[in-house]
This record gives sequence, structure tokens and C-alpha cells, in this order.
Amino acid sequence: MFCSITSTAISGVDALPVYVEADVSEGLPMFNIIGAVSTRTREAADRVKTALRNLKIVLPPKRITINLSPGDVRKEGTRYDLPIAAAVLAALDRIPKESLEGTLVLGELHLDGRIEQVPGILPSILTARDLGLKTALVPAANYAEAKAAQALDVVGLASLQDLIDYCSDGRRPENLPAGDAPLSEEEDAEDFSDIRGQESVKRACLIAAAGFHNLLLSGPPGSGKSMAARRLPGILPALTKEERLEVSRIYSVAGLLTAAHPVIQKRPFRAPHHLLSPQALVGGGRSPVPGEITLSHRGVLFLDELPEMPGRNLEFLRQPLEDRFIQISRIGRSVIFPCNFLLVAAMNPCPCGYYPDLNRCTCTERDIRNYTARISQPILDRIDLRTEVPALDYDALHAGGQDKITSAMLKTQVEKAFACQKERYLDMPIAFNSELSARDIPRFCPLSAEAGRLLEAAYTAMALSARGYHRILRIARTIADLDGDDLIRESHISEAVHFRQHS
Amino acid sequence: MDIRITTVGDPDYPRVLSLYPGMPEKLYYLGNLPDPEKRSAAIVGARACSAYGRDQARGFAADLARNGVQIISGMALGIDSHAHEGCLSAGGKTFAVLGNGVDICYPRTNRSLYRRILESGGGILSEFPPGTEAAPYHFPLRNRIISALSDLVLIVEARAKSGSLITAQYALEQGKDIFAVPGRLNDPLSAGCLSLIRKGAGAALSPSQLLQELGFSADEKGEPAAPPSTSDLTPTARKILHYLSSDPKTLEEIVTASRLPLGEVFKGLLELELKSFTRQSVPGLYVRTYG
Repeated sequence: MFCSITSTAISGVDALPVYVEADVSEGLPMFNIIGAVSTRTREAADRVKTALRNLKIVLPPKRITINLSPGDVRKEGTRYDLPIAAAVLAALDRIPKESLEGTLVLGELHLDGRIEQVPGILPSILTARDLGLKTALVPAANYAEAKAAQALDVVGLASLQDLIDYCSDGRRPENLPAGDAPLSEEEDAEDFSDIRGQESVKRACLIAAAGFHNLLLSGPPGSGKSMAARRLPGILPALTKEERLEVSRIYSVAGLLTAAHPVIQKRPFRAPHHLLSPQALVGGGRSPVPGEITLSHRGVLFLDELPEMPGRNLEFLRQPLEDRFIQISRIGRSVIFPCNFLLVAAMNPCPCGYYPDLNRCTCTERDIRNYTARISQPILDRIDLRTEVPALDYDALHAGGQDKITSAMLKTQVEKAFACQKERYLDMPIAFNSELSARDIPRFCPLSAEAGRLLEAAYTAMALSARGYHRILRIARTIADLDGDDLIRESHISEAVHFRQHS
Repeated sequence: MDIRITTVGDPDYPRVLSLYPGMPEKLYYLGNLPDPEKRSAAIVGARACSAYGRDQARGFAADLARNGVQIISGMALGIDSHAHEGCLSAGGKTFAVLGNGVDICYPRTNRSLYRRILESGGGILSEFPPGTEAAPYHFPLRNRIISALSDLVLIVEARAKSGSLITAQYALEQGKDIFAVPGRLNDPLSAGCLSLIRKGAGAALSPSQLLQELGFSADEKGEPAAPPSTSDLTPTARKILHYLSSDPKTLEEIVTASRLPLGEVFKGLLELELKSFTRQSVPGLYVRTYG
């Protein structure tokens, strides 16, 4: 009386196959779960026994052993309740074993037999497809997400009784959320035309988006730094189908997909509070889950009040900003989360926020210096662009209405620049101008004669560092791409010099 | 460098100090004492100064120093430091009177200035014994020495309630000439200076005016640094320069005021910056450079 059911364990953003084996044999009555199970997973025994009893299924007084294989993969969470129940029922011949062949089973049980949703459905379905499985039994609440993978025949189950019905005579629950919503771009409610004036800020946002350059916004409270950052994902080109799946996987593992939004369609925008824990920022936990940097993969990570952020947190950003992935190591295993995000940081010009308005600013020169110095140099080194966001004057506020620059216009320009870069870096391991290394810059950043002279003059007069020099060229490359120019011209250099981050 | 002590009655004890009541018995100093044969001017002002104050302090100090005037100040942040810097840039001698022991550099961020004052033949003075830490009540006390050592006192920027006004008060009691750099009416950093002018202090309109007050005749004055000519600027740059002032302006404000296209403003600003007509007081904020 043995039965094996296929399920999955989550590791990073991937799912690994886990086989849930149940054996019922003679001996002292017991219900044992083995196979590198966590305490939380072991609790499945009580839930399964109770849920079965509440369905009037009484377990025989026999020795029931559940083994979760392979034994070297740690089993976490409550996702094995349903496969354990199914394996026990099959081992007891309450349901036909054949009915679960080639089938993936996942779900948490309530004591009354209702089935609760579990995270990581999307990667599980994709893994099941690779294993050659045909069907997936998932919680009804995860039905839409499972369908969105478009990989398997999905059955959504609301209760343990649904499982028994499906296995016994193939009956499927009806009226589940469809989940096959077209993968269309949703309309962005937030548009750059909501921001009046601030032409230079919009220009900086455009350049940041076009070359995927990290951006620092500095300005007094209420000047619209967050407003601008929030609108940045909307001017990045739409996610491709592969990218949607890639981002959705992350959100699936993090348990952030809902029945209403089973697939991430838009580029993510994450704005965590500056006092969040390092684990919440970069990911972590005993069984590592993605942090904010991974949740903003292919989108925008907005860090407001950057100088207020504990230095330790900022230091954690260094490696991910460099590598565009984060490796989290735990005893015996390590997982890798992607985190290719656009960093938008915001800061006040001084602790009180009103410098240089001396009627309101109460800070001393030293306060201001210390405040800016709180941001560590290695982080600033990764930020190419900087712009000031001045407070709006009354006229701009009062005029209200829409500005002439819209997100759609900016997006068209960004798409053009993306296309330039795609072509240029076809045989390179990089995708964007912001990733250009000092070694590649001479090859990809040809200068016109006047531009060369201007850059030389600026380099000498402003006592630029080598880092500042390369930064100007990377930004100028993007500005030239926006103009559709292969050669970097004088005007591109003068603009890049202004927007460069000084450090 | 050894710390030296001079006591009332010593030949090197500054004679001017013995003229006034309440002066210290002993002075500790590093480097030199001010040369009694030469004229001295005190330049003091706000710690949190504006770009305008910075330029004025440096400009006045440099022009006075070029004519051999010794600049005396308190080495505090802001105007005091800029006055010392201006003097050093013109190759003059400058003296700092501290509110702590002369062996301590306070504020610490002025360590380079502290070193250069001594290297250039100036001096660091204090009435407090070596090792004395700075304390808030020390600073008003040292102001009476700054004023006593000087032939005139120039206040560059001061808020309505400012330590610089204490210096002015001492200067008044000691019968020194007091000058204040005028500022704008609604600028809080000029409130102190303007009220001094209202009470009868001289309005410092140019370094040459102060030089005359110090007894230099018109032909003795060295040529003040000529303002750089705007004639070889491009028309765009000249137009942008028109909108720049000592008030820091963001790019956005310049674009709005000048109604020039963004691209033109970038070109013009870079040209002005490269030719030293403007600088960024903090990244992204442009101020016009004077002199």
C-alpha cells in the first residue's frame, strides 16, 4: 500500500521536484513525516488527519509513513498538506492511484478541508512541465496564476472533497477566476503630464530610463521627487513576454500574485521605507525569500531619504548594484535572485530640507556637509545621474491641469534609445550604456572634434576624476542615442556635464 | 613649532592691547604676532554664510592683503574662514584668534587652513592656555581681542542676533571703525549688517574705500582685480549670466527665467562655468562669481 505524488519545493525563484510518498503498513498506529522537513511542514500531520476526519474519512489504526524525497532538499512551508492527503488517500485506496499519475499537487489544508493558497505556483508549474507532467492540482485561489503559465492542464481545488471528486470521477470545480486575461499593457494611471514644469527633472528621468542609469534626485520636501520616480517605470519599454514571466516568477515565490493580477504586466515600482531591515532589502530568511531589490527586478527601486537610510543597509546594495543579481548563502545551499533594477534615490539638500532658502533653512554648513556625507562613496559611484528638483512656485501649482510632456512621448524616445543599445551591444555581455566599463568606453563613445575639446576643457577646469570623466561619457552616450546620433557631439557633452553626479 | 607666551610688559606684547581695559595678561601664540608697524583689519561674520558672503569675504580680504593689510579673524567656519582664505590667496599674512588653546584646531575641518596660516608667516593666537577645549562662552571673549588687534572691523554677513555683532560692540567700545557689507533687505543673513549700518556703521562698498580709511592714498592702492570681461562670451552665455546672481539658482529656475531651450542653457552654463563666471555652490545650484 504505497503511493507517490509529485510536488515541488522552492529554491530561489526556481522549483525543485519533491516526491511525496505514503506507505500504510501493519504496526503500532502512527502518522510520521520524514525527509528533511521543517517544523512547520511537520505540522501537516495534524491538519491532514483532522481534515480527513472532518470529511468522515477515518484513518485505520495502522502505521502511516510519509516520506518527502529527495532527502537533501529542505522542505519548508505548508505546501505539502494537499499532496500528503492525496498520497494517504491513494495508499488507502480511497482514490484511484492512476488518477494522480503525471500530476503536480500543491496546497495547504484547513481543518475543515478547505484548501488555502500557497506561494511559488508559477515556477512549480514550469518545473512540472519540464518534468513531463500533464496536469496540475492547485488551490482555487492560485488557479489564475497556474493558468497564466500556459503550460499544463490546471485544476483548481477549493476543498479536499474537490480532490476526491476529481480523482474518483474527473469532476472539476466550476466558476473559478478565468486567469487567461490577455497579456496586454494596462493603462498607466500616473503620467508625467501630471507634473507641471520641472523640465530638467523630466529630462533627467528620460536619460535615466533610456540608458538605465541610476538617478539621484535632490530637492526640498514636497517638490515632487517621489512623483517623478513613481512615473519612471511608465516610460520604460513594456516588458517582453519572457520578462513578464521572469518577474512574475519572483512575485509568485514571494506570494505577491493575486487572483486578480496573476501575472506581472507592468514594470515593478518598489518604494520601501528607509528603515527596512537588510533582509527585507536584499532578501534573506532561513529559507531565502526575495527582498525589495529583487522585487524591483526590471523595474524601479525608489529609495527616499537616502541619507536617513542606515549605512549598513546601503552597504548591502553595493554588490547587487554591481552584479545585478544577489547570492544568498545558507548552510549547505545558496540561492541566486536576479535584481537588475533602476535605482532612483531621493534626498533633501540638507537635514531640514530647505537649503538654499536661507529664510527657512536652519542648518549650518557642517550639518549640510555631514548630511550628504552619510551616503557612502561606493553607492554614489554607482549613480551616474543627479538632478535638483526645485520647489514649485505658486504659478506652477495654481495652473493645474496637464503639462505638454506626456509619458507616452518620453516612452517613444526611450524605446528608440533601447533599440540603439540593443544593436550596439549585440555581441557584448551588457545591455545598457550605464553598464559600459572604462575599457569599453573608447570603443563605443566616439567624440566629435568639438566635443573632445569641450570635454578636455571641462576635465581640466573642473578637476574631474577618472570616474567623473567616464560618467560624463556614459551619460553623453545615452543622450546621443536619444538624438539618434552615433557620434557624441558638443551639446551631448554639455548636458552630460550638468547632469553628472558629482563625486 | 613651539607655543610661545607673551605677557603684559614684554616687548613683543601687542601694544594696542594695553590701551584697552579687560585684555588678557598673557597671550599664547603659534607662529607670529601681528606686525604693529602694519595696518590690520578684522573680517568676521556668520558661520552659515551665503555664496555672496563667501565671495565678499574673500574679495575684501584678498584686496586688503594685496596692499599689505593684515587680516585678523576667528577661524570659525563660514565668513571667518573665507576671510583667512582670501588673504592667503593674495599672499598676505593673516592671524586667527581662537576661543581655545592654540594647539587645538577647532573646528577640525579647518586643519588645512590652520596649517597654511602658520606656513605663510601668520599666527594663531589665544588667551586660553594650551589644551583648553573650545567652550561656547570663549567665543564672545576672544572677539574683544580680534577687535582690539585691528584698525578697523568689517562685518560681512550677520543675522539679527549674531556673535559678529558682539565683535562690533567691542569695536565700538574700543573706538574702532566699524564697516558692514550691505546686503538685501529681506535676506536674514544681512539683517545684522543692515542694522549696523542704520546705527551708523560704515557701508563697505569696495576694498578701495576701506584702504582709504586705513590711510592708504589713492595712488598707493594696488590695482583691484579687474572683473573678467564678458565680451568674448557667446550671446547665450551672456543672456544666462544676466539671470545669475549671488542667490543659488537651480537649472529649472534658469530655464524658466531665461525662456531658453534646455539644450542652450546646458551649453551656456558650461561655458560660464569653464570661464569662471559661475560656479556651483552645491552640486546643481549655480551662483554668479564676483571678482
